[in-house]
Amino acid sequence: MKYVAWASMPILLFLSFVACAGEMSPQAFVPVGDSPGGDTTQHTRGRNSFSLPAANINRHDLRVFFFGNKLFNTNWVIAPASVKKLDGLGPIFNRVSCSGCHLRDGRGQPPEKYGDELLSMLIRLSVPGRNEDGGPKPHPAYGDQLNDRAIPDVPAEGKVLIETTEIPGQFEDGTPYSLAAPSYHFSDLAFGPLGSDVMISPRVAPAVIGLGLLEAIRNEDLKALADPDDADADGISGRINHVWDQAKKSVEIGRFGWKSNVASLMHQDAAAANGDMGLTSTLFPVENCPSVQTACRAAPTGTGVQLSDKFLKKLTLYAQTLAVPARRHADEADVLAGEKLFSAIGCGGCHIPTFVTGKHPDLDILSNQTIHPFTDLLLHDMGDGLADGRPDFEATGTEWRTAPLWGIGLVESVNNHTRFLHDGRARSIEEAVLWHGGEAKAAKEKYRALDKPERQQLLAFLNSL
Amino acid sequence: MKNIALITSASVLALSLATSGYASQTDPVRNISSYALSKDAAGYIPDYNAHPVVTNYAALVLATYEQTLADAKDLQTAIKALLENPSQDSLNAARNAWINARTSYLQTEAFRFYEGPIDFVDEKTKEEGPEGHLNAWPLNEGFIDYTKGNPKGGLINDPSIPLTAASIRSQDQVEDEADVTTGYHAIEFLLWGQDMNPTSAGTRPVSDFIAGKGNNDRRRLYLTTVTEMVIEDLNFLVKAWAADDPDNYATKFIAMEDKEALGRILTSLATLSEFELANERIATGIDSGDQEDEQSCFSDNTLNDVIFDQRGIRNVYFGGYGDVAGAGLDTLVASLAPNLNNKMIAALNKTDGAISQLNYPYDSILASAADDPARAEAELVIQALQAQSDVIKEIGKLLGVMVVVPTGG
Repeated sequence: MKYVAWASMPILLFLSFVACAGEMSPQAFVPVGDSPGGDTTQHTRGRNSFSLPAANINRHDLRVFFFGNKLFNTNWVIAPASVKKLDGLGPIFNRVSCSGCHLRDGRGQPPEKYGDELLSMLIRLSVPGRNEDGGPKPHPAYGDQLNDRAIPDVPAEGKVLIETTEIPGQFEDGTPYSLAAPSYHFSDLAFGPLGSDVMISPRVAPAVIGLGLLEAIRNEDLKALADPDDADADGISGRINHVWDQAKKSVEIGRFGWKSNVASLMHQDAAAANGDMGLTSTLFPVENCPSVQTACRAAPTGTGVQLSDKFLKKLTLYAQTLAVPARRHADEADVLAGEKLFSAIGCGGCHIPTFVTGKHPDLDILSNQTIHPFTDLLLHDMGDGLADGRPDFEATGTEWRTAPLWGIGLVESVNNHTRFLHDGRARSIEEAVLWHGGEAKAAKEKYRALDKPERQQLLAFLNSL
Repeated sequence: MKNIALITSASVLALSLATSGYASQTDPVRNISSYALSKDAAGYIPDYNAHPVVTNYAALVLATYEQTLADAKDLQTAIKALLENPSQDSLNAARNAWINARTSYLQTEAFRFYEGPIDFVDEKTKEEGPEGHLNAWPLNEGFIDYTKGNPKGGLINDPSIPLTAASIRSQDQVEDEADVTTGYHAIEFLLWGQDMNPTSAGTRPVSDFIAGKGNNDRRRLYLTTVTEMVIEDLNFLVKAWAADDPDNYATKFIAMEDKEALGRILTSLATLSEFELANERIATGIDSGDQEDEQSCFSDNTLNDVIFDQRGIRNVYFGGYGDVAGAGLDTLVASLAPNLNNKMIAALNKTDGAISQLNYPYDSILASAADDPARAEAELVIQALQAQSDVIKEIGKLLGVMVVVPTGG
């Protein structure tokens, strides 16, 4: 990471002077407070914590938000159906609704036991090379993700089986722990073996909160944080992913997806509708049926695109305005101590606490907000343990985007699980920390060296987010 | 007098913090100063005694839940009669009992949205109030029972799943928010079946309830079980609002700083009005053009959902329900700002007037063409509810309390 031009620094300096009235040094610890989403923050908790609109939304947009919520929860049906506006499912798909994976706008998880079907995660597929947009080259028979469901009379592509192996470890104080390493196998493959050159990347559905704010972070701030050659030799590089955006029809800075492989929420929504549910749109007008899948190609699709521009815009506003929940217990001693440790052991090197958003292209309520997402949206080498070996635009097979941490303490309340990381392998926030490698190894080792009360403080902080 | 009252309430408050029955009272998110402001933005400090309003409100909430429980027990009796002797008459009687049970329950919706007993959240146990179990909607009917084109669908037709309260609850909204297994709308679907017709309600045949046939015994058991679950949840709410026990929520509510309690009361009214009713329920259905995008789609009772939610708002404002007829918000507001009280009454009346113009059944509005006058009439209800919410927020300013509606509008 490069600190010389750290965009957020002036804000932190300003805050620390104000808060401490000059009594402390400018680098003094300043807690981020309880409103990570700025004026959009919702004071909420419990099962619906991720489902509320930005607190500062206007009356017109609130109505659009609710309609977007309806679309998000709609179970799409096979075309042609009586409700024409909501048909076009498949022919092959993963789930029939957005909320199928993002239950209560929250986070997905791997199946609870071996052999259970995937409900809120999927497997991306590709073969070496790039497609015409510079993205991964789809598998010739299966496309760029495994669709494990299909409409009647069309074969589903196959099933995924996840095996786990326990890897023992221990903290420096001798306390043992165990991490579960997944491996992926496939069965019922309808179009033959995947082949020896296939590359796979398992991905769980992330929570949908605060995305419009991430979209409003200035390009310059991300460029200022990037340090591709580790010029400052702090062991942390941080690279921008440059990706094709189907909404703008240009190469843009990636922000969304587990590898920052998507630049805008409109692209993200339309791509997920197409890839995960089989819905066409003006952005992705072609059904996801590789040429060998003749039944898929022959299936009726109805007329025109299945997700209209009007609906896509409403769905996009919904994804942009789902609010970040306020922090709980932010001013308690343990939590503050944990926040200090978070910074002291280096987590904040990539999980950047603070940005001031620029002008959001569509929604003023998201502009000029002081936010605390705890991400730099950049790619980092996370080590072999987490590597998927599948490049995605400029991301390598060992790189992942720094995941935003806001809301993680409420995942258990919303989704009734505590599975974290790109494939949900971590069974707790602590396991997610312990999986960190590569550029994050130094910070992880410092965590392992903390004593138990300190580890609990750090976890109390993470749970307050 | 005022000082003494303050000291008393402060000491009871300390007691309630120590016993920590409802997390919502001690948690920083909804802590005891979430709604109470000592002054408004202009520095104005209102001086009034709202304690009689708060006490009367607690009595009104209790009376409404007691009536809701009584009506639900009548529904349970009617369902027992249906299952003992299935006939079109006993089915109709059960359906009427459901519609009657809804009229009282809907009026309790004006007690939501401030983490009271109906929708509290306990961060430690992850336990939440029963609102989601009682009234979750939309409901994916195919998850419970057969539907058109899927004669073997639903939990009822899957004998591998035991139908106990615990198993039905464990299946609730696990993979899909619409996979609702419990509550009034589950009972509604079991009594009416799917509604495929814009001019009438669902027409489930009485033969579905005859014992021993197909999976009817499982349907009968399901209906009996979810009805009992509704009664259990209502029993909990009645107990929580009975002021005779220091551990009950009602005791703590009455002991709150009056402004804190007033903030909760007004937040509930404004949120129900604007967020829930105007937007989530009415506007979304109007915008989708999907005939069954209405809250009580099986029974075609949605118009009553609107009418009695609004009745609940009126009840609270005027402080009256059943035998409860003490000090309402109207008295308090009138004593401080008569014009604002008149404005609120006018807003309530305007909403009532707009609702009375809506077409029946409600799904005929949703199925109507884009330029149909029925849609314009529904828009007027939305606007009236929004305007009503704005006046409630103005009352919050007058009283110097926070009205925390989850919208900036």
